[in-house]
Amino acid sequence: MAACPVCDAEVEIAADTVVGELMSCDDCGCELEVTALDPATLAEAPEAGEDWGQ
Amino acid sequence: MTRRRWRKPQKRVKTGANRVSTAKPRVGLLHSLLRKDEKMLLAAFQRAGVEPVMLDDRQLVFDFAHGPEVDVVLERALNHSRGLNALRLFEAAGIKCINSYSVANVCGDKLLTTAALAEHGVAQPQSRVAFTEAAALQAIEDIGYPVVLKPVVGSWGRLLSKINDRDAAEAILEHKAVLGSYQHSVFYIQDYVAKAGRDIRSFVVGDECIAAIYRSSEHWITNTARGAVASKCVVTPEIADISLRAAAAVGGGVLAVDLFESAAGLMVNEVNNTMEFKNSVDTSGVDIPAKMVAYALAEAKK
Repeated sequence: MAACPVCDAEVEIAADTVVGELMSCDDCGCELEVTALDPATLAEAPEAGEDWGQ
Repeated sequence: MTRRRWRKPQKRVKTGANRVSTAKPRVGLLHSLLRKDEKMLLAAFQRAGVEPVMLDDRQLVFDFAHGPEVDVVLERALNHSRGLNALRLFEAAGIKCINSYSVANVCGDKLLTTAALAEHGVAQPQSRVAFTEAAALQAIEDIGYPVVLKPVVGSWGRLLSKINDRDAAEAILEHKAVLGSYQHSVFYIQDYVAKAGRDIRSFVVGDECIAAIYRSSEHWITNTARGAVASKCVVTPEIADISLRAAAAVGGGVLAVDLFESAAGLMVNEVNNTMEFKNSVDTSGVDIPAKMVAYALAEAKK
């Protein structure tokens, strides 16, 4: 588990989670980035840029 | 990543016909945030017994002389601009990239994609390019309403405008000219293709069209990032043929081709060089990341 940096809800960290992984908070819906493991920490994910995605 | 892992460019040395290299290929994975797509790729690498070298584009520093100690880089950057420039710099360090800088450059720019498809005789909607509001308005009226105005660089269907009449054309052209960044001063205009609520996304890996999905939406933009629903599409000979020809036109590699089903037959709308596939694996029944990994490992051994 790690705390959502936006709403402080507990976010489940799966066993296969990796640093840099994008996930979302089930409580507030914010997109989060895993910044460390053991212990797990989360940060708000950067906002999507105009040239993101395909 | 530390600089110690980077090396000077080296000439590729081919092994002789009777020499077989047993060393595991070293694959660099250029990434930003790791989305579900990249997690699926990591799992596919693990199943193949290969641990990729993770290259986070937010931490890289290039010096135009050194590169990571890898045989091939698989590009999965979120930002097209970062991916494109990193590919150029990896190639300058003598590293093969999937896809190449040239392919990413063509696919990331609708004008260049259209030119490449036209040069190779691949069917696509009629398009015009103009550099002023007046010329763009003339081009729109030449094609006839409705038309679609697109930024030449963009993704996920953002900033697309379906223009149904002259009033809308004048308003949108003025807004783009006044409020848009300089890229929006290149007016790319495409004939609107009525597509019965869906388009096709096909997946090409090397010389094979491995899978396809329908993307259905009540909205005229049928991108799954915009809420379109994916469903299975059988890869017909026609889909495979136009997909492979489109892929070859832009330079080949690992690509996703967006197709319209028009009254005149299949047409290519876009070719994507860093495609997303998370919604397409279960839908198509094809292990797309496994195919991508197998291709990357084969390319690394060449």
